[in-house]
Amino acid sequence: MATYKGAPLATQPKTLDPAEYFNLSPEYRRAEEKRAALRAQLKRQYLQQLNNPHRKELIEDPALTRWTYARTNNNYFRPTAKTSLIGGLFGVLPLFVLYVVFKTDRVS
Amino acid sequence: MLKVLIPTIMLFPTIWLTSPKWLWTTTTAHSLLIASISLMWFKWTSETGWTSSNTYLATDPLSTPLLVLTCWLLPLMILASQNHINPEPISRQRLYITLLASLQTFLIMAFGATEIIMFYIMFEATLIPTLIIITRWGNQTERLNAGTYFLFYTLAGSLPLLVALLLLQQSTGTLSMLVLQYSQPLQLNSWGHMIWWAACLIAFLVKMPLYGVHLWLPKAHVEAPVAGSMVLAAVLLKLGGYGMMRMMVMLDPLSKELAYPFIILALWGIIMTGSICLRQTDLKSLIAYSSVSHMGLVAGGILIQTPWGFSGAIILMIAHGLVSSALFCLANTAYERTHSRTMILARGLQIIFPLTAVWWFIANLANLALPPLPNLMGELMIITTLFNWSPWTILLTGLGTLITAGYSLYMFLMSQRGPTPNHITGLQPFHTREHLLMTLHLIPVILLVTKPELMWGWCY
Repeated sequence: MATYKGAPLATQPKTLDPAEYFNLSPEYRRAEEKRAALRAQLKRQYLQQLNNPHRKELIEDPALTRWTYARTNNNYFRPTAKTSLIGGLFGVLPLFVLYVVFKTDRVS
Repeated sequence: MLKVLIPTIMLFPTIWLTSPKWLWTTTTAHSLLIASISLMWFKWTSETGWTSSNTYLATDPLSTPLLVLTCWLLPLMILASQNHINPEPISRQRLYITLLASLQTFLIMAFGATEIIMFYIMFEATLIPTLIIITRWGNQTERLNAGTYFLFYTLAGSLPLLVALLLLQQSTGTLSMLVLQYSQPLQLNSWGHMIWWAACLIAFLVKMPLYGVHLWLPKAHVEAPVAGSMVLAAVLLKLGGYGMMRMMVMLDPLSKELAYPFIILALWGIIMTGSICLRQTDLKSLIAYSSVSHMGLVAGGILIQTPWGFSGAIILMIAHGLVSSALFCLANTAYERTHSRTMILARGLQIIFPLTAVWWFIANLANLALPPLPNLMGELMIITTLFNWSPWTILLTGLGTLITAGYSLYMFLMSQRGPTPNHITGLQPFHTREHLLMTLHLIPVILLVTKPELMWGWCY
């Protein structure tokens, strides 16, 4: 095939951009290598647990535990103007509206 | 009545004197025997009146279904607890079953009581074993918080009830339900009388629970062990409904005006708690909020005081008791295997547990009120009578039915369908005991389709 050259004015995706590879500082490269090493260790740990034939229990996922606790503990609620408005609109106002609706409907 | 009460009290020597090898077998067999004896209560000697041989304990068509449900539930609770209590020392196992049996005794005396004060004492007495079960055998640290909420919400509601009952005793001279149903309607026309009216009902509304005071229920249901959740969902909530139905007899004519806020809270609560169900991550929490939603419908049916409302309320209470207890048992099977209540953790279970998927399916269909199951019949009767009370309620109840179907299907699809994650294919298979537990829950629901006269109450 003839040598392929991409359209010179088109934008390259980040991973194919040659500027990405040759402009990296050594610190950045070292940091990326460390991160890749950590990822590989975590994946190795997971795969070891997954393929262990004597494993009887679940593999624990700390991210899931954190997420569950975040969802079930309501520490992230703060009474602000917006939340009070929503609370009043959906929690308090309908009670009065329904009272008026039922009263007028039954009395008439 | 004594035919059942004395065997239940004799359950205590059974628990403490059997050898450890036979403990669970004998207690389950003994409580199954009590459950089968309790079925004879269905033979009513009179269609509408009380059946009794003494003036202290009696049964009538309102209390009989609830009594039979209570007696039926004890062997189921013992079956369900067998696995998670097994690692504990023998005396603690005996203590656990003792707490369940004492709860049973108090409940039988509560539902069979003819004096309202006896009902009140038993109503309060049921709190103690439940509190001990929740705080001692629950699994997370939040159980202390849950026990506190449970105890203090119910107590705060029931102390005014005590005062109200004593006032009633003063003014009418008697608190026997046999007598009060024939008494003259009371003159209730002042603010003090209105407060008395509210005091009579607040305890039961908190217990049911009504939407505004329902906060104890998700905590208590989630933190309790499986037997605690079963008895809470199936019977203790119905104590509130039963108490309300008994007290309403004397509370006319004020009820016509004063019931409005509570009916509105109940109806709006159906929608709000149903919507919360759709956003839950915790499986037991979802079932707990669905209980609040169904009991909101029951509260609405009772508060409008029509024959269909009462009948629908009783039918829905019995059906919901069985189905909710079944759902908690299923949630417990998932919990015992994954040690987590997170819904997205135990998903795609249909492939690895096919028969259990059938139980999940039937229980969730019953929860979303599929015809011809009694859940639907009770709901339809309440919805119809609410429509008669005011046509605008159909908006709320219709939307509530839709949301109920939504979260029930969500629960089923999330736990059963979809790809099974790799990390849970190694879970323990289901025990025969667990399948037996589910069949014993679901077969009565299906059988009740054929004979709803047992549940209708005295309004037919």
